[in-house]
Amino acid sequence: MDRQSKKNADFAGQLRTVLASLPPARGLLPLILLLLVWQLLQPGPSPYFPGPSQWWTAALTLFSREHLVAAFGATTWTFLKGLALAIAAGTVLGLLIGVSDRAAHALQPLLEFMRAIPPPVTVPVASLLIGYSETMKLTVVVLSALWPILLNATSAVRQIDPLLLDVARSFRLTAWQRTWRIVLPAIVPSLLLGIRIAIPLAIVVTLLVEMLTSLPGIGALMIRSQRNFQSSEVYALLVMVGLFGFVVNDLFAVIEGVIMRRWPPRS
Amino acid sequence: MREPRRILGRVNWLGLATIALGFALWELLLRAGFAQYQNLPAPSAMASGLAEITSSGQLLADTLHTLLSVLVGWTAALVLGVVFGLLLGASSTLRRYSLASIEMLRPMPGIAFAPVALLLFGFSLQMELMVIILPALWPVLINTMGAVMGVHARLFEVGRTFRLSRGEIMRKIMLPAALPCVLVGARLSMTLALVLAIVAEMVGNPAGLGYAVVREQQAMRPELVFAYVVVIGALGVILNAVLTGAVAMLFPAASGRLREAG
Repeated sequence: MDRQSKKNADFAGQLRTVLASLPPARGLLPLILLLLVWQLLQPGPSPYFPGPSQWWTAALTLFSREHLVAAFGATTWTFLKGLALAIAAGTVLGLLIGVSDRAAHALQPLLEFMRAIPPPVTVPVASLLIGYSETMKLTVVVLSALWPILLNATSAVRQIDPLLLDVARSFRLTAWQRTWRIVLPAIVPSLLLGIRIAIPLAIVVTLLVEMLTSLPGIGALMIRSQRNFQSSEVYALLVMVGLFGFVVNDLFAVIEGVIMRRWPPRS
Repeated sequence: MREPRRILGRVNWLGLATIALGFALWELLLRAGFAQYQNLPAPSAMASGLAEITSSGQLLADTLHTLLSVLVGWTAALVLGVVFGLLLGASSTLRRYSLASIEMLRPMPGIAFAPVALLLFGFSLQMELMVIILPALWPVLINTMGAVMGVHARLFEVGRTFRLSRGEIMRKIMLPAALPCVLVGARLSMTLALVLAIVAEMVGNPAGLGYAVVREQQAMRPELVFAYVVVIGALGVILNAVLTGAVAMLFPAASGRLREAG
């Protein structure tokens, strides 16, 4: 088996593991019952609680008329690009800060404060400084996802087993080799944890920036449907965003599983 | 007398100096004209902005609104989360027939409820509370459930031996044993509640700190926007510190776990 197909098998196997670890499907019963009762009580349109069949019709209308796919694409693309940039920046900065005890000590209160600021407030600030543009959208997502990743990377670098660094010294590794071969692999589990925290923040901020600025995306569609009192569209979009969150969450669990397989738990 | 000195010794002076230096540099660069960004206020302008909203009472009113919404929403999420978490943790049948529903709903981004809440409640406090409570519920619920499931079966038997009723076993054995995990969930949920309160105030309920930031941005008062951002960050830090401190005081045994959970 060549390397690529082995990787694929890994991914499929991990996907199966994650799917198997999901709770049994009969647990969906309350949700299905709720939707059924809802449908029976309110089969027609309503300004507040339109029946689920109305959501479906609304979803189809959105799909054919409103470039739903394009909106989803814009949201997903911003989210992925923002997350990727945040991971790259968070890892590099975390490494740089973490290597030096003094730098980590000096910057810690500042970084903790940055993390404590709820990410949504970056939207008005970035609107002021950058204006309503795609760059602003991306900046805001990166800034929200950055802090958990950066702080986790920093503390992981500082907690590396001194023995590992001694190994690097005895092998006379250069600084570059030491970073690449020893430090980076050692902090991968913490990085993944940081990314897990960053993902929901990045999704929330992506949708928020679309809602506040009407830059194209699902968030803008949601707020427009609400302003036009298209209640069935609002519910349809809520379900779609919910599914998006579910898929992203489980997909990350799969990726995490594939990566962590190479990092066996150390006793 | 030893207590204050120990706290003074634990303060990260170097870190605070870095922040002060950063502000000084920012001010200097702007004054010297090295950096000219439109709408980027100097720290001195931010300070006078802060003084302005403090003396006009606007800041206090906004902060109180947000604080109140966070506390009410968080308390509701806490009560609901603990009750459902206890039930789900204690009954495997209940778990079997509802866990998948929870796993479907839990990853739903909290902000997605904002348009629905607006539809149902308009621009109101109820809207804000709905946006806070629904997502803030999950960390408490999941942590409580996990903790109850992790309670040793022998403790349960001890309760039986003492002929405690089911309710008494819950209250006297399960809840105390699960407390450290519940508190971890409670803390996660509070951070989430603050974020969601700000979100709800930005897109819906026109009150509080979240609305204030958007209001000043649209009024083109960058120094006030930055002043509010600093206040919101400080509020997050203070809420977290108060909760951690309260836990350390009330439940010393549980506070170690909380600190570990970061």
